[in-house]
Amino acid sequence: MVDYRRQEHHEFLQAAAQAMADEPLQSALTRLGDTLGPRNRAAYAALAESDELRERARAIKNATLLELDRHLQDLQASVERHGGNVHFASDGEDACRIIGEILDAAGARRVVKSKSMTTEEIHLNRYLEERDFDVTETDFGEFIIQVAGQRPSHLVAPAVHLRVDEVARILESDAGHPLPSEPQQLAAFARRRLRDRFAAADAGITGANFGIAETGSIVLVSNEGNARLTVSLPRVHIAVMGMEKVIPRWEHLPVFLKVLARAATGQKMSVYTSIVNGPRREGELDGAEAFHLVILDNGRSRILGGPLRESLFCIRCGACLNACPIYRNVGGHAYGGVYAGPIGAVLTPLYDGLKANHHLPHASSLCGACQAACPVKIAIPELLVRLREQLETNKSQSWIERTAYSTWARMMRSAGLYRLATWLATRTLGRLYRRSRWISRLPGLSGWTGARDFPAPAPERFRDWWRREGNA
Amino acid sequence: MKREAFFDRVRNAVRSAQRYRVNVQQFADRPPRSVQGGDLAARLAQEITAVGGTAHVAEDLDDARRYARGLFAENNVQRALCWQHSALEELRIDELLDEADVTAIDHATLAGLPREAQRREMLAADLGITGVDFAVAETGSLLLAAAAGRERVASLVPPVHLAIVRCQQIVADLFDAFERFDPRALPSNLTFITGPSKTGDIELQLTTGVHGPGAWHVLVVP
Repeated sequence: MVDYRRQEHHEFLQAAAQAMADEPLQSALTRLGDTLGPRNRAAYAALAESDELRERARAIKNATLLELDRHLQDLQASVERHGGNVHFASDGEDACRIIGEILDAAGARRVVKSKSMTTEEIHLNRYLEERDFDVTETDFGEFIIQVAGQRPSHLVAPAVHLRVDEVARILESDAGHPLPSEPQQLAAFARRRLRDRFAAADAGITGANFGIAETGSIVLVSNEGNARLTVSLPRVHIAVMGMEKVIPRWEHLPVFLKVLARAATGQKMSVYTSIVNGPRREGELDGAEAFHLVILDNGRSRILGGPLRESLFCIRCGACLNACPIYRNVGGHAYGGVYAGPIGAVLTPLYDGLKANHHLPHASSLCGACQAACPVKIAIPELLVRLREQLETNKSQSWIERTAYSTWARMMRSAGLYRLATWLATRTLGRLYRRSRWISRLPGLSGWTGARDFPAPAPERFRDWWRREGNA
Repeated sequence: MKREAFFDRVRNAVRSAQRYRVNVQQFADRPPRSVQGGDLAARLAQEITAVGGTAHVAEDLDDARRYARGLFAENNVQRALCWQHSALEELRIDELLDEADVTAIDHATLAGLPREAQRREMLAADLGITGVDFAVAETGSLLLAAAAGRERVASLVPPVHLAIVRCQQIVADLFDAFERFDPRALPSNLTFITGPSKTGDIELQLTTGVHGPGAWHVLVVP
């Protein structure tokens, strides 16, 4: 058994099988699909121009990435104009080191964090804890996950795989006394507990949903308010942003805000959208006194220069997870990377290597539900097919596969051969399976027939039927 | 040097990216508005209720003062963290607090204190009273800009938040709110608030007040 809730990069099929036998997880996933999936569709349907807004958001992302260097320069200049500092990190190690140095220079030991997938990506918590920083995740779900020593299983609902009684047991280990298995009371416990941490914190670390080049703004979207506390109470604020999160202008932000929450949870707006423009100003009593923005590459430039650059449009809303029939069966941990679900099946092979994650591009039925749910309409099925293609070209095929494909290609190119082949198929397999129409066992193809039946050819060719009906 | 290496990589990637086409539509015009006119106060109140807040559209200042007085009593408020803002002055909030025996904490009270004491005072409040810069009828959102005397924590730290909105501060659509700001002169912090603090982190069950205020009152005054 793999401990797939804690470990990364395990065998997908094994973890998926474990997940599918995990009953509490299965009921959690059913609930997720039945709640958030329909909310996303209803929210799009209720806004007449949602389709156009999604296309606009997509167009902005595309244009921005094609001039990313210029927009990042502008962002740096704008942040510095406000009195903030900008750091560029080429990989996760680099980013962790930079953040450690900022904290050391500020004499900060106690750190509060608001939910950020980018800091998960660079394993920041591990880095800081190894250096004896006191790090607290303050998003309720992330706090539960941190106490449990697990990994988040969903982009926006990290503890969605846990049942309320499991959460109560986990939090009891932090509280040191029994807690009731009731969400509102557990939330009240977390509020008290985390308030103390906020009150004592020296530094706050956040991600960034968007960075606006024109204004030097960092935008943080949350429902709980922990991101606001993280940037309001501690004296130092460090925001960690993947470099693809930059948008050029102020007027672009509402286009994204109008689709982000609708996609994620079906809300028109998340409860709190904070636009941070550098450190606090003269006379202000709250807000960080020092602001640092760490801009992260970590493989993004490699993706940007390649055929799968559309994956960088992602705004991390989680809608594709809720819509995906595979995610809804195996949950987030099975994917083994930081990013789960359909977009994770694209991003994890891109960031961490295709070979090590060769199952992920196949962890999709290519049904297209992810693309339909996506606020920036990323063609996820197409990207997965491209990854599958890369997998095949890197692989040496067996002689059976080579012969099968070359025969198939020759047949499809010749009308006469095609006619002959279909005639043969209808006369043999078609007649043999006239009644059931499905083949449950095929010699040499047990990989297919082990899990599903193979459709038998029709007993009669279409051209014969057409002629017989007198339409010729 | 490091920065240059970073940008070299990005520039190379951008050059290489031009070779791969991604299908996108082109737009030359402004994006469409979702809400354009109508009774904006009524729409705002409706959206605020829909997200779990309490909205009261006051007939006049007396009615508004009655509402505030009721709120103080109902929540047994002891300490209120207040903005220095003309909307509060117009309602003579300080008088109401005084009558109800509530300690008012504002910028003037806090500014003289050392940092630790400031933080303690902020965290001890059980009500936050603020004005707003704009309200968005489309989404039921309030937009609050930070400034000296307009502390961010007032709308965030206490368990109850009372926001006072003037009718003429209501804009129809989210796009309208953005247009009211000069991108070259933004305040240090701008926050859209759309509802009481919420989480669905346990079994997707809606739980309020996990970090921010669990009760969110919006008082619309003429």
